[in-house]
Amino acid sequence: MMARQRGWRLAVRRDWRVIAPFALLALLAAAVVLPNLAPPLSLANPDRTSASGFRAAIAALPTKPLVLVAFDADFGSYPEITYATRSVIDDLVQEGGSLAVVSYSPEGRALASAELERLRRGGMGDDRLLDLGYRSGVEAALVQSVTSIVPKASSGPIAVRIRGGGGGIDAFDAALIVGGGDLGPRIWVEQVATRSPELPLLAIAPTFLWPELQPYLASGQLAGLLGTLRDGVAYGVDRADGADSEAAIDGPPSALAMLLGMLVAIGVLLEATGDRLTSWLGEQRLARRP
Amino acid sequence: MRRSLPATLVVVVGLILLADFVIVNRSLAAVAGTLLEYLVLLAAAAAIAGGLALAMRHVGDLRHARGDRPGSLLLLAGMAVMLVGGFFPGSGGADGPLVRWLVGALLAPLVAALFALLFFFLLAAARRGLRLRSRETTVMLLAAAVALILLLPLGGVAGRWLAAVAGWTLDVPIGAVFRGLLIGVAIATAVAAARILLAIDGTVEE
Repeated sequence: MMARQRGWRLAVRRDWRVIAPFALLALLAAAVVLPNLAPPLSLANPDRTSASGFRAAIAALPTKPLVLVAFDADFGSYPEITYATRSVIDDLVQEGGSLAVVSYSPEGRALASAELERLRRGGMGDDRLLDLGYRSGVEAALVQSVTSIVPKASSGPIAVRIRGGGGGIDAFDAALIVGGGDLGPRIWVEQVATRSPELPLLAIAPTFLWPELQPYLASGQLAGLLGTLRDGVAYGVDRADGADSEAAIDGPPSALAMLLGMLVAIGVLLEATGDRLTSWLGEQRLARRP
Repeated sequence: MRRSLPATLVVVVGLILLADFVIVNRSLAAVAGTLLEYLVLLAAAAAIAGGLALAMRHVGDLRHARGDRPGSLLLLAGMAVMLVGGFFPGSGGADGPLVRWLVGALLAPLVAALFALLFFFLLAAARRGLRLRSRETTVMLLAAAVALILLLPLGGVAGRWLAAVAGWTLDVPIGAVFRGLLIGVAIATAVAAARILLAIDGTVEE
């Protein structure tokens, strides 16, 4: 009887281990499609310092600015900054800005291609959008871009405008750096800000880069920084609230799905840590026995 | 002579680029620009060589029936499809419609799916890590749990309080550790670079 009960318990435990990931997946999927049932949920950072600082940096640009978008996000962290990136790009477009997109990493180029496609589908023509392509050589290519960034084959009004401004990064009114693990805003500060100190650098980066980027924001080397998911969402949400027309971009990530995932993770971590502590206490008790 | 040539090259190139960084001189800038062009070309050549080496390795695996043959076949097929998409006459290279479709409709969703699995893998790894009975793992996972609690997307007073503590944690303790790490790495890099530039390190000659 005891053996049968133990076997049943083991079977239940084994089945549960198989079912649990699928159950979690179904729960998360349901949370994504369901609206936020609990009103107090908010993914946007209640502290709007970064978001409003970024907005002020964009507002400080001249009218119809020419902005270089350096797209070097990576596949792993781009979902975290997609909403912020699209919100900022949309803001620049609304301001009448012209964009030139360049990448120094292959992954960044792949993501930039998709974003360029999205912008073209949204009706942005060659008069306001220029693809500067992928440049191999990472930091060496970045340094080279300071003096020469337009490929010889590029044509159109933006290419003419950049060539008229010297042909390098100095021709732009600002650079928007969409960073990732390969090439982030820090390298831009090191390699470009030292050579073109007048160029305002705006950066969007995943949270893991925040500790290394925050000093650059504090020192003014970065004019604006959206360095966490919650800052990015705060920027996008405020923008959507203030916009006359509905934003042509997807909404922010689901706060409910995020909350559920985090609660599951916290539960698993605490349960596993509790198990470990219990067994450790048991070992200590056994060790104390004569 | 053969052994000292690379070292001399490294020292000369390094000093020219360093001088260009601190001295405004048109001739020097032109030389530094040419050197940078060589660097970029070298990086492109290295990327092509890497791709070729990878392809040759997997062709070898298939020919000698070793390793993960279905994986090798899939890799070579993927490379071939991407190359055909890019080199097809009139395709527009890396911006060709087929390449864009392959990236946007296949590569990006596949990689996103792979990264989405990280959530489950990390949780499973955390549980297994604790079974190894390491005290450091326990501390690390407790810290992870605390970080997750601080980042919970709650609204209202509780949410504001959690966000404020999370911001402080990111700016002060985590920021301090990270900056210390970066300064350490920068000093080590500067020392290594100085050793190479002053030719007191034998690494380049070996």
